Amino acid sequence: MNDKASFPIVGIGASAGGVEALEGLFRTLPADSGMAFVVVTHLAPQHESLLADIIGRCTPTPARQAVDGDLVEPDHIYTLQSGTLLTIEGGRLRVRPDNAAHRDRNPIDLFLNSLASDRGERAVGIILSGSGSDGTLGVKAIKERGGFTIAQGHDGIHRHDGMPNSAIATGVVDLVAPVETMAATLVDYTRTATPLGDLTSEKEVREDARLEAARRSITTILRNQVGHDFRGYKHNTFLRRVQRRMQALRLTDIDSYVGYLREDRTEAAALFRDLLIGVTTFFRDGETFQALEELVIPHLFAGKSTGDAVRVWVPGCATGEEVYSIAMLLSEYAESLHSVPKIQVFATDIDEHALEVARTGRYPASLVRDVPADRLKRHFIEDGTSYVVRKEVRDLCIFSAHSLVRDPPFSRIDLISCRNLLIYLGVELQDQVIPMFHYALRPSSYLFLGVAETIGQHQALFVPIDKKHRLFRRQDTASVTIPFALAEHGGRSVRGGAETPRSIQSNAANLRGHVEARVLERFAPAHIVVNQNGEVVYYSANTGKYLQAPPGAPNRQLLAMARKGLRLDLRGAVHEAMQTHKPVTRKHLAVEVDDRVQVLDLTIEPFDREGEAFFLVLFSDVGRPSPPEEIYGKESQWGQDPVVVEQLERELRDTKERLQSTIEEYETSLEELKSANEELISVNEELQSTNEELETAKEETQSVNEELHAVNIELNSKVEELDQSNNDLQNLFNSTQIGIVFLDRCLLIRSFTPAVTRIFNLIASDRGRPLTDIVSHLDQLDLDHDLGQALAGTEPVEKAVRSRDGTKHYIMRILPYRNARNDLEGLLLTFVDVTSLKEAEEQQRQLIGELDHRVKNMLAVVIALAQQTLKTIAKAPECTAFLGRLQAVASTYDLLTRDRWGNIPLNDIVLNEAKPYAGSEGRFVVEGPAVQLRPKAALALGMVIHELVTNAVKYGALSVAEGRVVVTWEIGEKDADAALLVHWRETDGPVLSPPSHHGFGSKLITQQIRYELRGDATVDYRPTGLEATFTVPIAQLRSDDDAPDFPESAR
Amino acid sequence: MTAKRLDGCRIVIVEDELLIAMMLEEILQDAGATIVGMAGCVADALALIEREDFDAAVLDARLDDERVTAIADALEAGAKPFVFHSGYGPEHLPSRHRHRPLLRKPSNPAAIVRMLYAAIG
Repeated sequence: MNDKASFPIVGIGASAGGVEALEGLFRTLPADSGMAFVVVTHLAPQHESLLADIIGRCTPTPARQAVDGDLVEPDHIYTLQSGTLLTIEGGRLRVRPDNAAHRDRNPIDLFLNSLASDRGERAVGIILSGSGSDGTLGVKAIKERGGFTIAQGHDGIHRHDGMPNSAIATGVVDLVAPVETMAATLVDYTRTATPLGDLTSEKEVREDARLEAARRSITTILRNQVGHDFRGYKHNTFLRRVQRRMQALRLTDIDSYVGYLREDRTEAAALFRDLLIGVTTFFRDGETFQALEELVIPHLFAGKSTGDAVRVWVPGCATGEEVYSIAMLLSEYAESLHSVPKIQVFATDIDEHALEVARTGRYPASLVRDVPADRLKRHFIEDGTSYVVRKEVRDLCIFSAHSLVRDPPFSRIDLISCRNLLIYLGVELQDQVIPMFHYALRPSSYLFLGVAETIGQHQALFVPIDKKHRLFRRQDTASVTIPFALAEHGGRSVRGGAETPRSIQSNAANLRGHVEARVLERFAPAHIVVNQNGEVVYYSANTGKYLQAPPGAPNRQLLAMARKGLRLDLRGAVHEAMQTHKPVTRKHLAVEVDDRVQVLDLTIEPFDREGEAFFLVLFSDVGRPSPPEEIYGKESQWGQDPVVVEQLERELRDTKERLQSTIEEYETSLEELKSANEELISVNEELQSTNEELETAKEETQSVNEELHAVNIELNSKVEELDQSNNDLQNLFNSTQIGIVFLDRCLLIRSFTPAVTRIFNLIASDRGRPLTDIVSHLDQLDLDHDLGQALAGTEPVEKAVRSRDGTKHYIMRILPYRNARNDLEGLLLTFVDVTSLKEAEEQQRQLIGELDHRVKNMLAVVIALAQQTLKTIAKAPECTAFLGRLQAVASTYDLLTRDRWGNIPLNDIVLNEAKPYAGSEGRFVVEGPAVQLRPKAALALGMVIHELVTNAVKYGALSVAEGRVVVTWEIGEKDADAALLVHWRETDGPVLSPPSHHGFGSKLITQQIRYELRGDATVDYRPTGLEATFTVPIAQLRSDDDAPDFPESAR
Repeated sequence: MTAKRLDGCRIVIVEDELLIAMMLEEILQDAGATIVGMAGCVADALALIEREDFDAAVLDARLDDERVTAIADALEAGAKPFVFHSGYGPEHLPSRHRHRPLLRKPSNPAAIVRMLYAAIG
């Protein structure tokens, strides 16, 4: 089937949901598939380690984890070890640890890339279920090297669309299929790997008659169906793409493929797209771009100022990565200049789909991975998982559909970057395209080709400035025949057609030609060829005897050159031959050569060549030249009668003289005619050059037109985008309940949403009026002041406002309106309706008030109940204590409700308890800094103070008239934390002894603070009076959430 | 009543109001139980649960603005039965513990004893 070294290796990438897909794929795989499989996944480590087992259970083919240095063998499955990255080199797997810090982990891309370079056409890439875009770059690389690519389609198995869809979107996937059929497809693929045989040699391909016939049929079908001519493409490259399509369709016979292509219209489109594989990346071959940046780009801008333009043409731009790369370089350089010329990058391709992608300028993160970080930040905007080329760069590029072969070229271009397009074109097309580039370029401008491309035989047109990076400069001295021939003749070369037969014949007829030339030179009579105008176009050897150069300007007129004695007969004979178009012969003519006379026969034979009439003039000598007496002597013997002779001689003399004068007259008029003719010729030449100029102007107009067309298309698509955004915005405006007014810098209304008309009496025609002129329904609004403040300050203004009738409440915000450059361009007012919030707040306040009231009522009821119930024992000490405690709780509660359960001053609490017992001034001293207590702390302290006061009144200082109580407090420390210390000191009371047992009251005093406020209490029964100290941590005094939960101004 | 006395039961009280805690202490002591400890905040309560050996707990649903979820979790982890004693309705209990018995404040002493007895089983 295949020799061992070239079995296919299938790289399989999978992520989320991939285990099911892998099971589905391997379940149908036969044991002798002849392929090796390498599975790269993103699965969690525990899954990855089990993966080999899981796969092993589905198929007889052995599966195991890849180990560094493994030689990949057919009929084996290798899986990725968790935490490692896998590549392949020379048929061996390389495993290295995955550095977790690496920013984006794309193990599938990594492996498929190495597989593509290692296996080339024998690489297969499969993308299964998974989210994200890993694998996309990998299949691109495989496709570029001629490998086979498959993505998982919709099938019974649930799949995550991200990875397969990202791969399919690039257009390089050969086949989208459910996993169950993949194994069968792969087996067919290996069996039919080369249905067309070995296509490596262009020459052999050209000579295979069957392939050639099929190729012709396919190009014809393509030309008819998609309108593009691929006849000029390299035959082997072309057929390889065809072969790839045949594999995808599982066809083994090229004729059946031709039939299929004829039947199925979509196949033509599929083949077309395959032929146009535009695999480009950003800054492809980084060094090359560096060379471009250093060697060429500065020259493009040299000597140009604001009014000029730098024009770049990128034919075959595919999805635009190359275009944007160049545009980025240009814009980077332009930023360093004082006066920046206009930059135009014309990007053309025949693939409309690719252009669509290019125009959007949105690329998945995996595609921009090779862009250096600084450029990425400078020229791209990150948008979710993809990157969008910034508008500044996109605006430099104009994308349009244009065929390098069919359409007239652009003109006055400074740089043409045509990389990796020529490799797809055959020699003939290349020979037409390169002169066309020469035409399109301005003098001394640049051509940039792909690494594998050359300018072929056109060294005269371009000189290399960097051979390695394929940078060329236009040679201005060379002139090119009009290159548009290829446009008008649909790619057929007239010149090429004429050359081929000549070169074939030259070899075979070499000897014969040589012999003939020799015979002509040695034995043939002297001869010349003249054209219809009597001008000599060809001389044989030895014509000097009959012709001689006339005086004056060089001249090719046969009659002017003819020697004396020959001219008359020659003129007559030539004239006759021209008239009759028949051979003419004149015998026994005499011509004087160096005092001797040569007798000769003259033959003139007309012939046609390529529609033009020519005349062969043969001079055949009769005998050798002799002295004139011999010739003329012979003649004198003819006349015997002297009288007659004399008469005849006289007549002859007269006739000769007349003839001579006629000839002279004739020659004069001939001269005149000639000069008239020359004038006509020069006029004609002028006309011709004018015509040529017009022709060039026409071509230029055509290119300008083409450009305009491209710009127009670009504009149209932008207008559509704008319309769309406008619609979105309009719908947003109409649907939003938030009132928004846009003001410009002069505070004139620019735009507003319908919701705002409930606040301001705005109608559409108010646009352009100052907002402050508009009547508003708002109460106490100083718009002038607020707007001024917003314009001056950097902080947005925020305010609660309400309508004049008090029914509506709004939060008004005034924000700066900034443009893309962050300049202030006006203000933005928003009004958010908070009426319902406000109402809810009011309701809540009322509820709390009601609740407070009810609780106080309830306490009053409890006190009344107690008093009534305990009336009979009202004087009992327990009863007084009980009622007193109830009263104390009620009065602290009263204090709390007064302040709406906010914080209350400690001072108030102490005085509240002491008030009823403090008979005269000075008996009860309260002193301390202002301290606020939260409700719980207030209730607890209140209760303690109440017990202390009750005790003092019963047994302590307040039980006698002289007794005094001093309550002081300060902020001190407890266990290194800030704490409130409250001191109670009784003096001048009765002598005190510690109580014999601790009742409920003293339990409250000692434990309340400790238990509820995590504080401390010490009570000292001194003989001089009771002294107590209470320590409460500061943290327990104030509640943390006492900040208002609504803006102060909104209250 | 004699059948429901909590003789020998060791009980923990978690309650932020000292007065109520004292009341509970008295009621439960009257029913024969031993009060192992009282706590008024989450930190104290967790320390108490960790430290003491006991049979059941009475747990207020809110301690001075602190949630008692952590305490209920700790009790559950130690497989200690407990009852909630709160002025709030069941909707304010920690959602995982809503199935626990809830005694609404103000409560009567017999109900407290009965419910704890039932909880201990």
